[in-house]
Amino acid sequence: MTSTLIQVSHFSYRYNQESEVALKNVHLEVAAGEFVAMIGANGSGKSTLCNALVGLIPNYFVGYSEGRITVDGKDTASVSVGELSQTIGLVFQNPFNQLSYTADTVAEELAYGLGNRGVPRDEMFSKIKKIAELMQIDELLDKNPLELSGGQVQRVALASAIILEPKILVLDECTTQLDPIGSEQIMDIIKKLNESGITIVMVDHDMERVAELADKVYVLQHGSIVLGGTPEEVFCSPQLAEFSVSPPDYYEITKNVIQPGYREKDFALTESQAIALLQEVLYEDRNQEPQA
Amino acid sequence: MKIEIKNLKHKYPSGGEALRGINTAFEGSDPIAIIGQNGAGKTTFAKHLNGLLRPTEGQILIDGESIHEHTTAYWSKYIGYVFQNPDNQLFLETVRKEFEFGPKQLGVPRHEINDRIDFVSELVGLKHRLSTHPFDLNATEKKFCTIGSILMMDPKVIILDEPTCGQDVEGNQRLTEIITYLKNNDRLCITITHDMKFVVRNFDQIVVMAKGQILMSGSKNLVFSDTKTLLESYVTPPPITRVGQALGLKDISFSKEEFIDHFTRRLHQR
Repeated sequence: MTSTLIQVSHFSYRYNQESEVALKNVHLEVAAGEFVAMIGANGSGKSTLCNALVGLIPNYFVGYSEGRITVDGKDTASVSVGELSQTIGLVFQNPFNQLSYTADTVAEELAYGLGNRGVPRDEMFSKIKKIAELMQIDELLDKNPLELSGGQVQRVALASAIILEPKILVLDECTTQLDPIGSEQIMDIIKKLNESGITIVMVDHDMERVAELADKVYVLQHGSIVLGGTPEEVFCSPQLAEFSVSPPDYYEITKNVIQPGYREKDFALTESQAIALLQEVLYEDRNQEPQA
Repeated sequence: MKIEIKNLKHKYPSGGEALRGINTAFEGSDPIAIIGQNGAGKTTFAKHLNGLLRPTEGQILIDGESIHEHTTAYWSKYIGYVFQNPDNQLFLETVRKEFEFGPKQLGVPRHEINDRIDFVSELVGLKHRLSTHPFDLNATEKKFCTIGSILMMDPKVIILDEPTCGQDVEGNQRLTEIITYLKNNDRLCITITHDMKFVVRNFDQIVVMAKGQILMSGSKNLVFSDTKTLLESYVTPPPITRVGQALGLKDISFSKEEFIDHFTRRLHQR
């Protein structure tokens, strides 16, 4: 039995200065332990939804909301962001906005949230050491956060959220500054966190990655969830193009070289599936070669 | 415009050696992509090309003239750099003022500034946002605002530092249009990016950096065939290319069309 950890019920939101609503009647349930991806064009409401999940909306941003969001049983409108942050952590789209920059070193930056929680000093040091190893930022601990490169800031920003051990981690395009291998390493870490039971809500434009990792995918457009389901249900939907989203490249290449109905599955969504399927096609066709 | 880089080294005051002897030259208008791992020195290198940073050792010659001969303000007329983090670049109250600032400094006449605003705001997709405060723009609009404000100065060379961060399908298409426009108008565009799908769609000259040096450079065919060297720089080829390589297809594929063509040929090649 899985329990619902996040419940978004008919939630709408409009920012104070804007005439258009940013979220329109959003309804969404996330089960404990699920890996959820949110995709869609820029301006479709993905980041606004992230802010709403962690309570920055309506507690911090000024605007008008309708409907209700509960996270682990708590109504986001009636508890403080601080209290919610014990359960749900957000990694911002712009990693430069994540750090407090009130600390002289990366280690102090990582201690910031722990300090607010009243974590004992000794425990703090061991947690910082552990997270630094995990995120490969050991060598940065004594550096001033202002000296870091974009990719380094991104690793520290992620570390500062993960170190608080939230039940739910919300990631708003959390690898944009990283090189391809670094990006894969971070995703491996996120995947392991998810396997250890942490619920993940991830916003990303990399469809290959979404197809590889997510249990559920939701497509947003103009503030509404317009499509949702497993990666297969979403990426095979004929409606997808209407929402300015392309399926993973693996889907398009396999779909185009394999005859429809030729096999049980005539497409692939991930790299390993695509390679296996196409190898099969090359191999089988050779077997079917007519005898001369 | 020709930029020559000779044995360029850069040490930060904290002692870190960010660039360890770079030799290369850029010329013409075929767009160039700089790729490579975080901390490889890509941004540090790019900031040398218009004098934002000065060499600790070595030389940079622009059309034969040493970069030391002039100020960064002077070189910025010819070589524009768009910052990685837009918040480091934007400082005025409206998008229009951001756009006007550069050409005003250069003494461009009012009517020409207005013409440029019409054209540039269309190109970067901010025509309806001209009176918006830059801090009210979303992340990718901010990026396009910074690109626009550099395009307004009409430099001969334009450097884009990580323009693909957070871009959706439409944003990537817009970047392609900007890069194509620059090429067709004899402007050189040098782009730093981690998005390999974007690289193979838009660039055929690629510079791979690692640990303060250029590891290799050349056409996309050459660079993405050498996966071993790429890996040293923490780069992997884009998805379609990787599948083609895993299947052992003879020719390298970058686009879906190429892949389908190469795969089908392999099927029939018996």
